[in-house]
Amino acid sequence: MKVISRRELLRTAGAVGAAAMATDAFPVAAPSTSQTTPPSGAAAAPREAYERLTATESDMLEAIVARLIPTDANGPGAIEARAAHYIDRALAGALADQLEAYRAGFAAFDRYCRLSRGKPFVDLSATDQDSVLIDVESGSATGSGAGFTGSSVAFFNMVKAHTWQGTFGDPYYGGNANFVGWDLIGYPGVRTMVTAADQQRLEKNELTPNHRSAYDFDGFNKATARAASHGDQHGD
Amino acid sequence: MARDYTPDGRNISPPLSWSSVPAGTKELAVVCADFGAGAPPPWVHWVVYNIPATATGLPAELPIDPAASMPPAIKGATQGLNGWRRPIYRGPAPPVGTTHVYYFTVYALDADVDLKPNLTRAELLEAIDGHIIGRGELVPTYERRPGKTAP
Repeated sequence: MKVISRRELLRTAGAVGAAAMATDAFPVAAPSTSQTTPPSGAAAAPREAYERLTATESDMLEAIVARLIPTDANGPGAIEARAAHYIDRALAGALADQLEAYRAGFAAFDRYCRLSRGKPFVDLSATDQDSVLIDVESGSATGSGAGFTGSSVAFFNMVKAHTWQGTFGDPYYGGNANFVGWDLIGYPGVRTMVTAADQQRLEKNELTPNHRSAYDFDGFNKATARAASHGDQHGD
Repeated sequence: MARDYTPDGRNISPPLSWSSVPAGTKELAVVCADFGAGAPPPWVHWVVYNIPATATGLPAELPIDPAASMPPAIKGATQGLNGWRRPIYRGPAPPVGTTHVYYFTVYALDADVDLKPNLTRAELLEAIDGHIIGRGELVPTYERRPGKTAP
């Protein structure tokens, strides 16, 4: 896993602890009973529904993205950017053809964790989680009997690529929530015009992020982008 | 080799111990290499150097977080780059059904050689050439058997 170089940024909010995204789901009631509120006791943090991923898959994915781009002293990470939700939403749409690869990959990943570390990924320490991810990334997990299709490297690269998209892509696509990702890497935001004063502020790390999606600009409206591409067909 | 020192287990670095370090040793280095893998061989699993001469071994489970500090007994030790270009230990993952041999070699050096961070095995050996006054070796094997699928 590559450590992203992060610039010191002025932040108004403290890092949101990953603990806020509780990984222990409350027990699901049997089908004959309906449970619409958490069990009595301390109120559970509300959790946003996933469209395509099961509860087990989404818990695993959240734990994975939390290690790929952690919440730490540098600020919020992939969880706060909603990268896991970006992936889930994409699997219901633009990435629908990769849903089966995710299903199979999650199953193999879970088997690998249980076979090698004796526990599901979500129950491992952060160190053991990192160790698992390194082994999956390097391909060492491939011959473990976990049943990765091809090499475990393919599954890792797929999840990593989508985690990066979900953290650093334009928020229009459902990730990079509250511009967490762009703030993390110091990208000051989409601008159609940069003045000399802007450039000077940027070079002094003083350019305030404008927190605008590309699609906040009329020129980048999705409808006009589609129309433009239809009028400019390429051979491929 | 026990499973927990491989990716079939927790993949933590194994404990090592040594004795009879030559008089005049100023520091130590350890390398783990598989001469039956790599193009060209060997495939390197671990590189550790700047180990204090007072150390009698390496404790198990050295950090995989580069920001974490080494255990006090080997304060100042550095992990170099393995074959995956990571500054950590990664254990054997031979092809299923095969047995590979893993050479854990400890080098005793007669000087505090200036060793930069993130050295590979080749770079380390070149840097300590002419300073090796003692060497020890531990040679375990590991066979990767097909695992059972979890229930």
